[in-house]
Amino acid sequence: MAAPFTRVYRPFWRIITTTKSNRGVRNVSYTSQQWSAQNVKTAGAASPWALHGAVCVQRLPVVTQDRSPIEEEFMELMQKMEFERSLLADHELKLLDDAALMSRKQEGDYDSDEEDDYRDKDIVTAQDLEDIWEQKLKDFQPALRSQGNDQKDASSSERCLADSLILLVKKDVGSQKLWLLPQIQWQMGETLRQTAERALASLPGADLKATFLGNAPCGFYKYKYPKDIQKEGSVGAKVFFFKAVLSSHKHLPLEKNSFAWVKKDELQDFLKPEYLKQVRRFIMAL
Amino acid sequence: MNTFLNKVFLLRNTRALVCAASSVQSQVVTTQMPLGVLLTNRQYRSMPTHGIGRYRHLLPKVSPKKKKDKIQAKAIKAATATEFGVFNVCVSGYDMTLVEHYSQYIHNLCSHLDIKVDECFALPTKSTEVMMMQEQSTKMYVDGVLKTHERVVQISEMKATLFPILAEVLLKNQPEGVQLCVKQHKEADYQARFKTRPELEGLIAKINN
Repeated sequence: MAAPFTRVYRPFWRIITTTKSNRGVRNVSYTSQQWSAQNVKTAGAASPWALHGAVCVQRLPVVTQDRSPIEEEFMELMQKMEFERSLLADHELKLLDDAALMSRKQEGDYDSDEEDDYRDKDIVTAQDLEDIWEQKLKDFQPALRSQGNDQKDASSSERCLADSLILLVKKDVGSQKLWLLPQIQWQMGETLRQTAERALASLPGADLKATFLGNAPCGFYKYKYPKDIQKEGSVGAKVFFFKAVLSSHKHLPLEKNSFAWVKKDELQDFLKPEYLKQVRRFIMAL
Repeated sequence: MNTFLNKVFLLRNTRALVCAASSVQSQVVTTQMPLGVLLTNRQYRSMPTHGIGRYRHLLPKVSPKKKKDKIQAKAIKAATATEFGVFNVCVSGYDMTLVEHYSQYIHNLCSHLDIKVDECFALPTKSTEVMMMQEQSTKMYVDGVLKTHERVVQISEMKATLFPILAEVLLKNQPEGVQLCVKQHKEADYQARFKTRPELEGLIAKINN
């Protein structure tokens, strides 16, 4: 049974640029330069499987992960070795020169005309510069590495800045409320990727901008409707997942009960086992 | 007496070796004759190890390289339905060790995944002077110099199905302070790497005018 979705697609060019931002999500912006028309083949007979497009939106990690003790020790060792092997910088040489000049000046028979390279008295010596810089460093407050709300508030996208988070939505499926990746039904005449984009855009109350990583779906899940809903034409649904990366770092906070940003190892608390098995295959926990 | 005999023995040995070496050389020289000529000299000698050190005939033929090789501009391959054409992955940042290590990581990852890497080059470093306004005066003084380093990895003929995976891995492993940019490769990008030749351009302008 041929599923009526596009077979021929042309990859389009995009400029993905990332710039660092001090909190939230890094800016991933997207510009498309060419977009050629998509050919959509419509199948003759409608298949009994409904098609859904789903999107796996990820908020990429903002800070580096903390080092394990071995890594910490090794890093210290390497830094020590590098420091011992390094040469003196210009600033450090100047500091030594100034210190020598100072000690020469203290002596009784000091004659300033005897200086080799006569330079007019430096108003600001190297040590003064260093003091000014240290003062500036003390005034600088770096942003916090963790907001402190790691475990409790699952709907904030600022939690767990060192890991990548995935967006989950609570949806009514049949009679029960389930946590799922945002998905929406496919409509005739659009590509599955456009379906996924629509799924992201149609989330109530969330204004999320995401860059899709490609035209090819990354995962697939198929489920059958329960017996009482199954009719002649519909047996179940097939869901195709597309990967996207969150690009805007300013968005309205989402409702707690219907949205969640979770790490990969927290997924099992939210998703059903069968669904989880398929979803886990394409989510990378790097 | 003993030493004299030893010396004679030595001399005889060296002479024998020299004779052997010269005969070996003559054998080697004569075997490189064209095939049409009748080979009258024998390929063997009585020693079983004759010609044991011959290796020159096993090496591939190296054509003498011309000194001035004009670098030809490679034709930029176009994209097909399942493959991307040529695109550049630019890594830029202020910290050179991070930028270089990240670009090396990208290169190694691509060669490990059998993605064809055309070129991997560096663009010239750009220096930015940070000027701060002095307190209680209108003069600006140079606070510091920031150098932006940029490395480019050029990839061609990449499968479109593999690209989202590669992009995700690169984005997740991006270090702090390093910007990643994926651009389509254009002729203008290629020409931007070359230095301008002002005299040539002046002459061309004169010809055209």
